[in-house]
Amino acid sequence: MSSESFDDFQAELVKDFLLESSEGLETFDQDLLVIEKGEFDPSLLNQVFRVVHTIKGTAGCLGFSRIESIAHTGENVLSLMRDGELESSPDIADALLKLSDALRAMLEVIESSGSDEMAGDYTELKAVLDAIKNGEQPSGFEPPLEEAAAREPESVDTDSDGAWGFFDDEPEQETVAGGELAEESAGVAQAKEESVWGLFGDDEEPVVEKTVQEAKPVNVPAPVASKAESIAGATVRVDVELLDCLMNMVGELVLSRNQLLQLSYQRMIAPSDVSAISQRFNQVTTELQQGIMKTRMQQIGTVWGKYPRIVRDLASDLGKRVELETFGADTELDRTIIEAIKDPLTHIIRNAVDHGIESPEVRKAAGKSESAQLLMRAFHEAGQVNIEIVDDGAGIDGNKICGKALEKGLIDVEEAGRLSEREKINLIFLPGFSTAEKLSNVSGRGVGMDVVKTNIEKIGGSVEIHSVCGEGTTLRIKIPLTLAIVAALVVKSGDQRFAIPQVNLVELVRIKAEDMETSIETVYDTPVFRLRGKLLPLVFLDKFLKLPAREAVSRSSVSIAVLRADSQDYGLVVDVVSDTEEIVVKPLGKQLADMPIYAGATIMGDGSVAIILDAVGVASRSGVLGAAQKSAEALSNEIEEPQDTGEKVPLILFSLPGWENLAVPLEAAERLEEFDPSVIETSGGIESVHYRGGIMQLLRLGDLLGFETSFEGATREQVIVYKCGGRYLGIVVGENRDIVEQTLKLENIGSRPYIKGSALVNGRITDLVDVDAILVRTGLKELPESALCHG
Amino acid sequence: MKTIITVDDASTIRKMVGFTLKSAGHQVLEAADGLEAYEKLKGKSVDLVITDVNMPRMDGIELTRKLRALPAYSRVPIVLLTTEAGAAKKSEGRAAGATGWIVKPFSQDQLLALVSRVLPN
Repeated sequence: MSSESFDDFQAELVKDFLLESSEGLETFDQDLLVIEKGEFDPSLLNQVFRVVHTIKGTAGCLGFSRIESIAHTGENVLSLMRDGELESSPDIADALLKLSDALRAMLEVIESSGSDEMAGDYTELKAVLDAIKNGEQPSGFEPPLEEAAAREPESVDTDSDGAWGFFDDEPEQETVAGGELAEESAGVAQAKEESVWGLFGDDEEPVVEKTVQEAKPVNVPAPVASKAESIAGATVRVDVELLDCLMNMVGELVLSRNQLLQLSYQRMIAPSDVSAISQRFNQVTTELQQGIMKTRMQQIGTVWGKYPRIVRDLASDLGKRVELETFGADTELDRTIIEAIKDPLTHIIRNAVDHGIESPEVRKAAGKSESAQLLMRAFHEAGQVNIEIVDDGAGIDGNKICGKALEKGLIDVEEAGRLSEREKINLIFLPGFSTAEKLSNVSGRGVGMDVVKTNIEKIGGSVEIHSVCGEGTTLRIKIPLTLAIVAALVVKSGDQRFAIPQVNLVELVRIKAEDMETSIETVYDTPVFRLRGKLLPLVFLDKFLKLPAREAVSRSSVSIAVLRADSQDYGLVVDVVSDTEEIVVKPLGKQLADMPIYAGATIMGDGSVAIILDAVGVASRSGVLGAAQKSAEALSNEIEEPQDTGEKVPLILFSLPGWENLAVPLEAAERLEEFDPSVIETSGGIESVHYRGGIMQLLRLGDLLGFETSFEGATREQVIVYKCGGRYLGIVVGENRDIVEQTLKLENIGSRPYIKGSALVNGRITDLVDVDAILVRTGLKELPESALCHG
Repeated sequence: MKTIITVDDASTIRKMVGFTLKSAGHQVLEAADGLEAYEKLKGKSVDLVITDVNMPRMDGIELTRKLRALPAYSRVPIVLLTTEAGAAKKSEGRAAGATGWIVKPFSQDQLLALVSRVLPN
């Protein structure tokens, strides 16, 4: 039976076995973790059992005795659990998880060498599993040998590889196996030596001989060395319906081609014919594109599947308690992207458990639950996939990070002083920040966050980190759905066309040529544009690429494409914005490949080539974002309260007659009220109103500021109410205008009483009223602390 | 030439059994679990059923029981393909009406020996 074709067939079987087994093991770990917790239905246990059972059976048939034997010990334990004779426990889960590792490792060995003889030594694991089987279940499962012989061969694990038999003829007859059996037929005679099958009737009690592993070990040609992907990664399962649908569309395509060919033979071609065919082509290709995309899509859950295990193992190593929750595991992504984010995600998860989450004692002391929450969430948004990893751990201490970066010489003291809290946290993305030794990135261990960031940016994604010290960290990854076809904005500059991936685009701004002079300013030699009160640094694409610039006269307008790179915006000035298009990304040739300002090239509808710009590359090459920081600094001198920077503060904007732009932080205010002037009572020079069952003193801000105000004709008094220690104070302001969120960069004027400083709000210089000082003056507050008083 | 159905949730085993039987000149049907097999077999008759025991949806014992309830299958040999040749499983198999069993792993020759034994003539 060992013909050539049979060997081929065996090789194919081995491939099937590897695929089937790795598929089976895919959810194995997860299922075990559920079982460990004890919240499962019996069918899950049966499913887990079946995975190991199938591996054992198939491995045996293919002659992989080592994998069969280890699977067998695991099967014993699982079988006891399934029958309710063994309760799940962390120890058992540990052993079974190790079994899953062992099986995976052995499958890999088989895949690379064609046999499992090179597989590692798992006798220890086997002993552990056997101990669980025997120790936890002292009686019953494996009866003493005599007893077994008296009844029936117990099971294959009794070293006696069973046999075959008949049920019918003489059901209760006890016979010595083998001898009689052999006489039955030639076929049985053959079987005698192996005693592997039987008919129930023939022989009820075959005493089983030791079985020689009969199934031949299989010689599989070793796979080509270059094949890096494992067998599970090299194949895709496609829904038959989808496949039929694709075939259908290919049929349509062929029809369309025939039509086109026919048309091309005609001498006179009517334009309407051409448009009919092109429409058809358009439709078919679109559907085909979507269909093929679907076949490449994979649920992100296929990657997440291994995280519960990683989190569990790591947490128990570190003595921490972590609950991992996942949402949106069915979010679909292109296979190549799934591959690309696997390692970065693993690293982030490890980081979160290792550095982010505190030990139960520390958590308890901080008033948190002992068990930490780790949340993974994936969802689609605006043609991108968002993945969030949220932990409620210790958060990142910006100053610590800053200190470490200083220590490593990644930044200098001057730079460190200028950093906002957020920028400090972002230092962890700097190359060389990670202290871990570079080991391997398979497990994610030893790779710095810079590698995570680079890897994600390589596939057109971005990473953002938000952290509140003491409360936790959120990491947000945005990645495109696919790499092959992207939506892009086509622009023209210097008579050349460029494509900008839509994901980098924030907005488009068009400026008339005659307004150019006035609206574009220069700060520190960098052209900037004032966009809604914020300075947007600009890059002129034609100058940047040294393209022949168009004559100024010929432009009627310029367009600014506002691009986001490293969570900062800058404007790319181009001559013309043409259209958005779905472009097919082609990699650049070797000569251009190392130019980071280009992300690739594409072929436009008219057959010409357009270069795809890399927003991050352009930004770093032109240095525009560094300039942005400088120009922002130029506008604001010293920052009074560093913790204010970078964080948006809601402000109440109001005005006094003759003093246009004033603001107070919304946070400290209790309420905004309006009073009819008639309800205000004056006694002893102090104005007050009845308010919430008490008396509230009113202060006129204009008086305080030494600014003579008259409220003639005011029909309503606008009052901002503050509450401190159970007392209310109303500050009468002129007119409440608006509430805005604003990053406060205070310019400390300080010379005027009750004014904290000035800041640019919506493009206007606005004075921030020092509410604390007012509260202190009125005796509502005692210490002139910087912290605002809350009710 | 006989028609034989092989029922197993492991496709590797199905293929292996199928290949062996085909090379011996038989016609082979496949089913991935008991339920699929039962649906397939309801309307037709085969000469031999070789079925795995532990399968999702419907196991081999149940399949045997259900087939035996069909008049067309009252005498068709049914062989359990199993790794669990334990006493409990065996008596279960016997009670369900199975003809015989074969333990995984088995060689091709062993399988063919069993087949030639259970098939008439």
